[in-house]
This record gives sequence, C-alpha cells and structure tokens, in this order.
Amino acid sequence: MEHIQLHKSPLFLKIIFIISVAIIFFIGAITFKHITVLKKSSTWIAQSYEVNIELERLLSYVKDAETGQRGYLLSKDKNFLTPYYSSKQRIKKSYKRVAELTSNSRTQQRNLKRLQYLISRRLNFLSKTLYLVEQEVNDEKALAENSTIGKLAMDSIRTEIEGMIVTQKSLLRYRQQDYNSTMNYTPLLIYLTLLITLILITIAFIKMNKDLVLLRNTINTLSVAIEVNKLSEIIGNFGSWQLNLETGKYTFSDNQYRLLGCEPQSFEAGREEYAKFIHPDDKELLDKNTKNILTHNDLHPFTYRIIRKDGEVRYLKGTGEVVTFSSDNKIFIGTTRDITSDIDDKILTEERNRELESNNKELSAFNYIASHDLQEPLRKIETFISRLITKDFNNLSPSGQQYVSNIQKSTNRMRVLIDDLLQFSRTNRTEKNFEETDLNTLLENAKQDLAQTIEDTNAIIKINNLPVLDVIPFQIQQLFINLIGNSLKYHRQGIPPIVEITYAEVISNEEEFLPDTYHNYHKINITDNGIGFEQKYAKNIFVLFNRLHNKNEYKGTGIGLAICKKIVENHKGFIFAKGQTGVGSEFTVYLPVE
Amino acid sequence: MTADYINICLADDDEDDRLFFTDAFDELRINTKVSTFNDGVELMNYLNNEDSILPNVLFLDLNMPKKNGVECLLEIKKNRKLDDIAIAIYSTSSSEEHIEETFVNGANIYIKKPNDFENLKKILSEVVTMNWQYHTSGLNKENFLMRM
Repeated sequence: MEHIQLHKSPLFLKIIFIISVAIIFFIGAITFKHITVLKKSSTWIAQSYEVNIELERLLSYVKDAETGQRGYLLSKDKNFLTPYYSSKQRIKKSYKRVAELTSNSRTQQRNLKRLQYLISRRLNFLSKTLYLVEQEVNDEKALAENSTIGKLAMDSIRTEIEGMIVTQKSLLRYRQQDYNSTMNYTPLLIYLTLLITLILITIAFIKMNKDLVLLRNTINTLSVAIEVNKLSEIIGNFGSWQLNLETGKYTFSDNQYRLLGCEPQSFEAGREEYAKFIHPDDKELLDKNTKNILTHNDLHPFTYRIIRKDGEVRYLKGTGEVVTFSSDNKIFIGTTRDITSDIDDKILTEERNRELESNNKELSAFNYIASHDLQEPLRKIETFISRLITKDFNNLSPSGQQYVSNIQKSTNRMRVLIDDLLQFSRTNRTEKNFEETDLNTLLENAKQDLAQTIEDTNAIIKINNLPVLDVIPFQIQQLFINLIGNSLKYHRQGIPPIVEITYAEVISNEEEFLPDTYHNYHKINITDNGIGFEQKYAKNIFVLFNRLHNKNEYKGTGIGLAICKKIVENHKGFIFAKGQTGVGSEFTVYLPVE
Repeated sequence: MTADYINICLADDDEDDRLFFTDAFDELRINTKVSTFNDGVELMNYLNNEDSILPNVLFLDLNMPKKNGVECLLEIKKNRKLDDIAIAIYSTSSSEEHIEETFVNGANIYIKKPNDFENLKKILSEVVTMNWQYHTSGLNKENFLMRM
C-alpha cells in the first residue's frame, strides 16, 4: 500500500508543478499585454495633446499671416510683410507635423485635408489682395470682395480647427474608456490566478510534507528491519549476499564475513575473494552450482565446506534467487547458512540410532535366551521333578519329600518370573498394529480372563461406557487384566473388592502431572477400595521388579505394572498412580486424542 | 491306519527330551514304533532312503544343529514323496514368530514341550490318535497351537 502511494505522489506533484508554471506564464502574458496597452494609451494621450497644441499653433500662424498683410495694407510698410512670409513657412511645417501625428486616424486625416484646402484658399486670397495693392489697382470693390471672402475662409478655418480639436478630444476619451475597462478587470484576474497558484502550491507543500513524513517513517522502519535482519543473521547463523546483475558487483552482509571467521567488511566482496575460503575438495561443486546464476538466474540449495580464517572447517548451505526491482534493476540475492551444528547433530543422531539398534538387537537376543535357552533347563527340572514325584516320592525320607516339594515351589516361581519377563519384552518388541477397537469389548475380555479371581473374591466391577479408540488391542486388554488383577490381588482382608472404571475426555493443561504433548487426552480411571499404598511409592511401583510387599504376603513378580507402563507408553500415553494406605488406590491412564 | 502299529519319528538334539519322549510312549502302551534322530541331517538321510519306512507322524524340534526344524519342514513339504507325512512341531519356544513361520510352511500342529511328564503323555497320546485328515481340513491358526 505505502509502496503504491509513494509512486503516486510524484505524479501528483508533477501535475501541480505543471499547472503552476502554466498559470505563472499566463499571468506573465496578461501583465505584459496590459503594460503594452498602458504604454500605448499614454503615448496616445501625449499625441492627442500635441495634436491640439499644433492645431492651435497652426491657427495662430494663419492669424499672423493675416495680421502682417493687414499691417502692410494700412501702412504700405514692407516690414509688415516679413511675418506674412515666414508664417507661410511655419504653416507648412506645422501642417506637416499635424499630418504626422494624426496618421492613424482616418477621420482626422479627412478633416486635415479639408483644413489644408481652407488654409490654402485663405492664403490665396491674402496673396491676391497683396497683388492687387502692389499693382496699385485701386479697385475698391474688388478689394472689399476679396477681404470678405478672406474673412469667410478664415472663419471656416477656425471652425475646422475647433472641430478637429473636439474630434481629437472625443478620440482621447474613447481610448481612455477602453483603457480603463481593461485596467479594471486585470487586477481581479491577476489576483484570482495568484490565489489559485497559492492554493496549488500550498496543496503541493502539504502533500510533500506528508510524503516526507511517510518517507521518514519508511526509512525508520527500514533501518529497524536492517537491524533486525543483522541480529537474526547472527542468531540464525546465516549470512546474505547480493549480486547486481547489471554491474556485476557483489555485496556481502556483515554476518557473511563472520561466517568466514572475518571481521565484517574486512575485504572487498567478490567471487574470487570468497573462493579463497572454499574447501579445495568443494571448489568444483561451488563452480558447478553457481554457474547457473548468470545463465539461468537460479541457485539450487547445496551444501559445501569452507575453511575459516582460523582454519576451522565449517559446512555452509547456500541458496538464492533473482529479485527484479524494475526492468533494468535485477539483483541476485543469496543466503548462506552455517549448518555445521546440524550436520554434527545428524551425525550424533545417527550414532545414537546405531547404538539404539545394537541395544535393541541385544534385547532381542535376551528375549530369545529368556524364551528358549532359560526355559529349556527349567522345563527339564520340572519334568524330572514331576517324574520323581509320580514314581519315587514314596521311597523318599520325609525330609527328602519336603526338599522335593520346596524345589517344585521354587521352579514354579521361576516359571512365572520367566513368563512375565517374556511378556514384558514382547510388549516392547511386537509389531504395533493399531486398530479401531471398542474398549468395552477389551474390558469384557479382561473380565472373563479374571473370572475365577472375581468369583473367588466376590469382587464388584463397575464399568463406565468406554470409547472406541485406535489402539493395539491385545496390549490394552493386557493393561486392563493387569490393572484390575492388581486391584483384586491387593484387596483388604474380608472386604470384597470394588473396582470402578470411569472414562472422560480431558484437556491436558487442566490435569495434574500431565504434560501437554497433545491438547486432548482420553482419561481412564481405575479406582479400588483395596489396601492402597503410601503416596511416596507412587512412581516406584511402575519400575521393573519393584515390589512393595513381601512375596510371602502377596504373590507377584514386580513386572505387571511395568508392563502397564510400557503398554501406555506404546500408545504415547501416560499412567499415574495415587494411593492411600488402607483406603484404596487409583490408577489413571491418559491416551492422546489424535 | 492300515499297519498294525503307528510309526513315529522324532528329531531332537536333546538327549533328555528324547528320553522323556520314548518313556512316555513306553508308558502309554499304544502300539507304536518310535525312532529318534539326533539332528535334522540324520532325519533327512533316513527319510530320503528308499528302504526306510516312512513315519505316520513326525515330531520336529526347531532348534537343532546342522539342520534345524524349519529347514527340515521346508525340505519335506517340497518332496512329493514325503509331503503327506503329518508333522508336529515339538519345541520349547512358543513365540509368535515360530508358530507363524511353521504354520505358513505347512506343519500340522504345534506342540509346546510341556513341563510335566503326565501332561506330555496326555498330549502325545492325543496327537498320535488324532484323525489327521479331519484335523488338517479344519486347520486354522487358532487350533494349530495345541493347548493342554
């Protein structure tokens, strides 16, 4: 998620940047345009004023010419004619100037042409009058007519110039209006665009700030991850290395150096440098396995040996794969684990297995000796005694007869011992054929097996409903026979034994003593009202040949409960005993729910 | 039985056991002729001899030197001439492995050597007078091992 956000952010910032630049350009263009308009307008205003002044001046030149001529006409003094002549020149110049200034107004040009005609007419009349006077043609009538027409022309000129000034003024007003309207909305536009730019920049700033925080957090997380990785490499006894497939440059992690027995980053990471540590016998193996890195981008897990800096030979297991960050950034990441202790453990386990196997073989041999070789002489003793008793018993002295019956008792006991021992070792040895079995059936069989004893002792056996379980049937039946038989055997004198068998499914951590190897257990309780035992012997009674009572008091070999323990262990279960002298005992069997 | 006596063979390396065996038959007063052999090789030599009278019932000990009981059993069952002989395994051991192995290989009955002479007499008389045809047709693992 964060990864995607980080990718999205620069695009967002880019868009904001482009929009901002476009807006600033836009504002610049508008400002430039408006300054140009402003400049044009002020030029226009100055020009308009100049036109008006020049027009006034033109009028005054025409008047000068008229005044000069009038002075000459009255005084006949030639000196009056000087302004008249110079005025002509000035009128020409002034006219030219006005024409120049009003070149961009068609109306004024038209007006100017009319004005030019009027002025030239006026000047013609002036020069005509002057001619008439100089020729001394005293034609009063012609003169008066001339001056009347001249006066009319003069009036027209004045009107024309005034008209032109008015036109110029209205032009000026029009332009000023145009300029004002432009200038009115320009600040608003600039203000608005500036405002938008500001908002955009603010958003960009907030976004950048947020990204920066995100980036800082990511960097923090990353540095924590790096530290965690460093620590876990040390604890996990592994190192890592990288090969940049574009540049061919190697990087080793700190622990990769430590695996070699070197200080972190104590030499430059590289294939040749690393190869120096490889066990000579494994160099070829390493070459073969690492060949694929460049061609197939693949490194299957394989084990090789190194010789550490201190000379110690260690087993390392290497593997790796290509990680592609972007189309042109491929990195091969490899990990190396020191598996020396694993290999040592494996060797140790194999050794122990071999020992166990040979022990088992010895046990089998013992079983055979017990079953065959020990039984044979015993059987012969028994047979010979049985012959002696049937054939020659009456020929023996009373003491001899006593000896023979004592020998018979001892051999009988030895027979029981050997049979029990055999059963015990068979519990260990026989194939463990698990079958779905109804424990009620097994318990019923056990009861039948003990029928005679139950009858003899007037015992009451109370049975709870037992489940159907995956067990080794004959062993569980033996377990019931031994446990119930035990309760019957150790009953209190004169009190008929009551044996109660109950069942429940329990959770391991809610039970006393029970380890939580499995979560749930089947719990089978066998309680009796017999002689019980002291709680301190609760563990001893399951030990082979361990007896709490003298063999004259109670018959027994001390094997029965050891067999029970073995059977329960064969079923991955537990058996515990609780006792109280003179009250009774309680045996609890736990079988795992799988 | 067409002959007027029952022909019985025992292969057992133990001298005492051979003595118990012959004594038991002496006391039983059944019309029998008992021959004993000290090991499997001796037994097989006798059986393979053309002139030998083949036994009606053969008692085979398992643990014998030179050639053990199972080897003898296999050899007899492979031989068309001998495979009709009723074979009783006669051993100290009552281990499941031995019982299974001999049953699978075609023995007719498995006797665990008793530890009482009177028991021995009882078992032998029962085995010798047994209707083998009837016993063999209904043979299964349960009645293979003879219990007293």
